[in-house]
Amino acid sequence: MSWFRRPSRPADPLLAELADALAPDRVRNDGAQRSLTSHDASVFDGGVSGPVCFPTTTEEVQAIMRIAERHGRAVVPRGAGTGLAGGAIPLGAPVVVCTGKMNNVIQIDLENRIAWVEPGVINLDLSKQLRPKGFHFAPDPSSQQVCTLGGNVANNSGGPHCLAYGVTDAHVLALEVVLPDGQVARLGGLEDEPDGLDLRGAFVGSEGTLGIATKIAVRLTPNPPAVRTMLLSFSSVRDAAQTVSDVIAAGVVPAALEVMDQRMVTAIEAYVGAGYPTDAAAVLLAEVEGLEAGVDIDVAHIERIGRANHATDVRLAGSDAERAALWKGRKTAFGAVAQIAPDYYLHDTVVPRAKLADVLEQVYEIVDRHDVLVLNVFHAGDGNLHPLLVFDAREEGTLERVHAAGAEILRASLEAGGVLSGEHGIGVEKQQYMEELFTAADLDHQNRLRQAFDPACRANPGKVLPMGHSCADIQALRAVPTGVWG
Amino acid sequence: MDLRIDAEDLNSCVQCGLCLPHCPTYRVTGDEALSPRGRIRLMREVQDHGAPITSEIRHAFDTCVQCRGCEPACPSGVPYGRLIESTRETLTGAGELSARPQRLAFSVLAYPRLLRLGSTLLAVAVRLRLAPKRLGLPRDLPLRRARHVASGDDVYLFTGCVMDAWQRDVHHAGQRVMEAAGFGVTPTADLAPCCGALHTHAGLGPDARSRAEATIAALSVDGDRRPIVVDSAGCGAAMKEYGHLLGTAEAESFAQRVVDIQEWLADHLHRLPAVSPLDVCVAVQDPCHLRHVQGVHAATRTVLAPFVHRLIELDDDGLCCGAGGAYSVLHPGIAGDVRARKVDAIDQVSPDLVASANPGCSMHLAGAGVETVHPMELIDRALHGEG
Repeated sequence: MSWFRRPSRPADPLLAELADALAPDRVRNDGAQRSLTSHDASVFDGGVSGPVCFPTTTEEVQAIMRIAERHGRAVVPRGAGTGLAGGAIPLGAPVVVCTGKMNNVIQIDLENRIAWVEPGVINLDLSKQLRPKGFHFAPDPSSQQVCTLGGNVANNSGGPHCLAYGVTDAHVLALEVVLPDGQVARLGGLEDEPDGLDLRGAFVGSEGTLGIATKIAVRLTPNPPAVRTMLLSFSSVRDAAQTVSDVIAAGVVPAALEVMDQRMVTAIEAYVGAGYPTDAAAVLLAEVEGLEAGVDIDVAHIERIGRANHATDVRLAGSDAERAALWKGRKTAFGAVAQIAPDYYLHDTVVPRAKLADVLEQVYEIVDRHDVLVLNVFHAGDGNLHPLLVFDAREEGTLERVHAAGAEILRASLEAGGVLSGEHGIGVEKQQYMEELFTAADLDHQNRLRQAFDPACRANPGKVLPMGHSCADIQALRAVPTGVWG
Repeated sequence: MDLRIDAEDLNSCVQCGLCLPHCPTYRVTGDEALSPRGRIRLMREVQDHGAPITSEIRHAFDTCVQCRGCEPACPSGVPYGRLIESTRETLTGAGELSARPQRLAFSVLAYPRLLRLGSTLLAVAVRLRLAPKRLGLPRDLPLRRARHVASGDDVYLFTGCVMDAWQRDVHHAGQRVMEAAGFGVTPTADLAPCCGALHTHAGLGPDARSRAEATIAALSVDGDRRPIVVDSAGCGAAMKEYGHLLGTAEAESFAQRVVDIQEWLADHLHRLPAVSPLDVCVAVQDPCHLRHVQGVHAATRTVLAPFVHRLIELDDDGLCCGAGGAYSVLHPGIAGDVRARKVDAIDQVSPDLVASANPGCSMHLAGAGVETVHPMELIDRALHGEG
């Protein structure tokens, strides 16, 4: 008794052509679908999208690109919709390409430690498939249980373990991409030193503005022989931050160094019950990997540095289950905040590690001044801050205060010598700040690179580059259609 | 349209998306509208922003299996079950979702004799190959059932409706196991014929509440406080939520008496005799309403471990099998795709048998050729020398 009837060939020419190229039930134009694709996991709402397509092959993505071009429509790719910078929200009623049905692991080549995957494969699914074979995919964003590899490529995603292993860019060898004119290009190569310019490197992190990746060759990382996970408690956030800085300065390279402040710990402990101390001002989750003989030396080293920075408690996870529970807490942190308030704005800036403690103090001062609540959770080893501002958007004026505080946090990070984004991307969130980090000449070169891929500015326009640069200019694009719910 | 969802419940979702991979319908369609986050967003569009109820919105709400796998996955504790139950009840009441066929079919559940007669006729029809294939009925629906016999009054064994008609042998196995632990058991049989779980699922709120009230009244005579042991995960979950369903102190107090049979046995395991384990490797399939709703699936492992050669875990995070009460009959396409994932997960570990503590799951899986048994049947076999 399905309520959903298979649609007949639509009258609208754009829809009809898309439906012919894919299948009628994989091209959706109903109000529900278009309303849902106007959001991702960020605070930004786009306009309402045009048709929403669910391709299953590279050829179908090519067809969508060509049809969209004929109809003068932009194209926005969408993975799981967990982006935090508005990268996948529609501006100017674009055609949306959902990669969810392109979710096959095409080939696993253990000998060469490479896997070819489609963009809709979920990050954690790939690692789960690889683990029993002795490997995993190293970048592990907190959203790894849901985010897709296509999204990871688009945003050059990081994750706690990228401290030791590097971010997505270091784990993508080659890409098959569909360019905005519908042509297929192969970027990068499986060899150690591919010839020519590294266009793969340009594509990774381009947030859908250069085309859509349809096949991705990822590097497989061997599972470590031994892992130790420690939890250090501190009576001040400064002590935790200083410990991180001292650990790295001492030459220890842990797999992960994550700090969470008291409010954050309280929220996640209510969910996971992993034994996080809710009375500590901050906790440091540290993980070391390597050979059995080496990890205990690293643990002792980190403990000594922690104690020198007044750690009030140092605990070593005694079992895999305990370790998993601690990580589950860390990785679900941002979703746990609804216990405190119904909306969040998760920031993402990077500061030099030595300035972590100072910038954090500024963050607390800024949010106090704007009367906003902050929870801090961050990839401390990378100097990647994630101040999580929580609020209730229904209260008048709150959103303005949140944005004002966010802007100040960003400026404080830039002044400390940091950059705009660690791993969430620029999207629509940080476009306006690009000019504070880059000179006009820098931006011009970025724009020219972009135009080389996408001369007509149809690939995710209105994102990344600031307004005033041609592809950021969405004025020329079609306005949001009315009668969405019809 | 007011879906009669509590505003605070609706606001407790921050739309982070961590629920998506734990939703069976999202997993097999990749469609945000068929995910918990998408459905909650649509509830907001309807309740807060006046979006009309379109066929796509109906489809989104109608295709939810109500497995509630999203609830334990949600770091903010969104009470999704309450949201979708309110939504479906309101839409069904307003005629936006039709539950007429279910209502007609479920009306028989309160009349056990009629149900058993119908079931026997169905069993004959299946054997004569006259029953529609779409119903996915098992080949071995019983033509006869042994009578229920009470052995004492320490505990109730809740026998329910469809399960009693179709899988009474499981009740008998459960009763023998409880007796072996030294307890006198009263099967509820026709005393409390149906808990109303299927009605709640279908958005038939008033019918569900009247079934719940009848069940409470029948099992609470003269201050009766005996534990009510339930061997169907779906019934147990529904009865443990009577407090919310009826909103009365009496219902809340009744709910406290309800205990899943594995959960109950885990506390009395030491009273069972030591026997040699059955020589089988058993994969544990956790019914959603045992794992995600009752959260007592660890007990299944505790009670099975001493009685079988080896227990095997499925590597699918307890994703639903697609049975969902009457769901597999109403949405055979999606239910079949969801089941295919479960069957893959089972094939990967190649067990001798699959243990499932819910009649719906075991019948749905049997439809795909998976050999399933109730944990109590295995324990009964081990105890009574059929190993």
